[in-house]
Amino acid sequence: MTAIVEAVNLKKTYMLGKVPVEALRGVNLKVESGDFLAVLGPSGSGKSTLLNLIGALDKPTEGKLLIEGVDVSTLNDNQLADLRRRIGFVFQFFNLIPRFTARENVELSMSIADIGRAERRKQAEDLLETVGLKERMNHKPAELSGGEQQRVAIARALANTPRFLLMDEPTGNIDSKTANEIMGLIKRLNEEKGVTIIMVTHDQRLATQAKRTVQMFDGVITMEIVN
Amino acid sequence: MKPRDVFSYSFSAIKLRKLRAGLTTLGVVIGIAAIVALLSITQGLQDSITRQLQTGFATDTLIVSTGGGFGAGIGGRTGADSGFRLLINYTQMINGLSPNITTSIAIIQRAGFIKSGNMTRVTTIVGVDFAEYSDIYSSTFVNETGNIPLIPTNETVVVGKRISDPWKNGTLFCSVDDDVEIKWTNATNPFQPLNETYTGHVAAVLKEIGGFGVGPSDSTVYIPISKAESFFGTDECDMIIVKLKNDDKATIDSVSEAIKEAFSKQVSVTSATAVLNILSSVFSVIELFLGGIAAISLLVAGIGIMNIMIVSLMERTREIGILKALGMKSQTVLLVFLSESVIIGLMGAAIGIASGWVLANVVAIVFRGGGMFMGGNQAAAGAGAGGMTITPVLTPTVFLGALVFGIGVSVIFALYPAWRASKLKPVEALRYE
Repeated sequence: MTAIVEAVNLKKTYMLGKVPVEALRGVNLKVESGDFLAVLGPSGSGKSTLLNLIGALDKPTEGKLLIEGVDVSTLNDNQLADLRRRIGFVFQFFNLIPRFTARENVELSMSIADIGRAERRKQAEDLLETVGLKERMNHKPAELSGGEQQRVAIARALANTPRFLLMDEPTGNIDSKTANEIMGLIKRLNEEKGVTIIMVTHDQRLATQAKRTVQMFDGVITMEIVN
Repeated sequence: MKPRDVFSYSFSAIKLRKLRAGLTTLGVVIGIAAIVALLSITQGLQDSITRQLQTGFATDTLIVSTGGGFGAGIGGRTGADSGFRLLINYTQMINGLSPNITTSIAIIQRAGFIKSGNMTRVTTIVGVDFAEYSDIYSSTFVNETGNIPLIPTNETVVVGKRISDPWKNGTLFCSVDDDVEIKWTNATNPFQPLNETYTGHVAAVLKEIGGFGVGPSDSTVYIPISKAESFFGTDECDMIIVKLKNDDKATIDSVSEAIKEAFSKQVSVTSATAVLNILSSVFSVIELFLGGIAAISLLVAGIGIMNIMIVSLMERTREIGILKALGMKSQTVLLVFLSESVIIGLMGAAIGIASGWVLANVVAIVFRGGGMFMGGNQAAAGAGAGGMTITPVLTPTVFLGALVFGIGVSVIFALYPAWRASKLKPVEALRYE
């Protein structure tokens, strides 16, 4: 099976003022198509940094990160933007555009990908139906609950048929009942639709729902578990 | 992202902050309105003055005067410094200078008074040869009532429309066949000024001319040149009007040169065309000056746009992070911000042009109501009076210029904030609180 994401000795050092901070200290990781990987670790373990690198939001300081065989560090700004269009992001704080309705938020990522108005409207409606939110598609984020907002965010991430979904604490900002529903949706997407998922969490129970879990600590992967 | 989607996205951002966008746009509106109003009024004024000058001037004439030219001639008699005197009988010599000269006439003029009944009015008394003056100014030296005699008697007087009907309400100061008293103060000896008076007979009232320039005017009293000579006690004239066969530049130049040479460059020769050209360049400078002042207010508006864009950038940093995470390219982010400024500039310019046009018309109406009245007693040159109305002119150049300038200023001042927005790193923008 071809690896969609492959990290080889991946390092990332930030400058905190004049002090260098090693967020990643040599991460090796492979994610294959159809996988559901949970990256588990406490705060400051480097899991979000790893997610940002895989999501082409940032570039590594050292090592190699291959997305579908392409080394991310060789890409320029425009190529990175093109790559991000093939990745679906789900953030802890949803990151929806407040002035847009649910449907318009989902349409936005398709509009960035140059998809025509009529087609993106139909796709947005289909995606919102998939996440069970068709009835609420004309509501703005402020009129939706946390769980509903995260469903919209998932629908938006699924637009443009991404190669994989990156989820940063997707249930971190919602109540436990809704969190279970969202996890159910995520699992269904992986199992029924074959969507590859990389999810960052600090919650052990959520991590066990994934097919595989890697444990991170102090910028390195310390353990890998197949659930 | 398609251009339509970029504009639609930008418009949604503007719509979200209506008051702020409205106030920013207002800055552009004021700047553009000031430019459009000032330029269209200036253009209207120029057109109006040019039109009136063309009515007053005959383009196929030259004005020969002493000293510093036509400008100095308007102020009064000049040439005293050099001792040169422009005599009435020089017209015969001038007539022989070039085959392109049809005729020439001398003009004597003095500030004076006309008395009818027990009312007296200040006026300009102009002595001319009625026959030749009618020939040169065939469209303006025309009788409305009475007849202009080609061979006048010493008492013959022809008055302009505003002398006969100064109040424009039907109450006449004088009319045809009235006897009027013509008076001027001879101040040759300033210690013993003499009031000279004679009684004239109104033979004709001229049609209303409305213009001003060198030539017949509405507020002038005309007397025969021979009478003027004896009445003013001089054989010297204030100017000689030379009528040419045509108004070609070559003819004007060659005859002007011939006259100057004949008088050893002691006279100034001015053509109506030259005066109009000078006027046109003066107005260009005025337009530039006024436009420049108005442009300053637009620059202030531009700084307002920049300020608001920077605030907007800070408020929307996270949003930019989201857009970039969704795959929006840096140049598209730049375009999103620039198109916001284009929308503000376009709205501001469109409203500004309309407001400026309305403002210009209001100013024109106020001028009209207040009676911008160019006239009264013109001391010399027969430059007379006429009510002048300004019709603001919005040329396509001013229209397009204002539109482009409004949008241009908005875009230029939005460049820096837009560039900063486009350069935001997605990971840092997403972390921004």
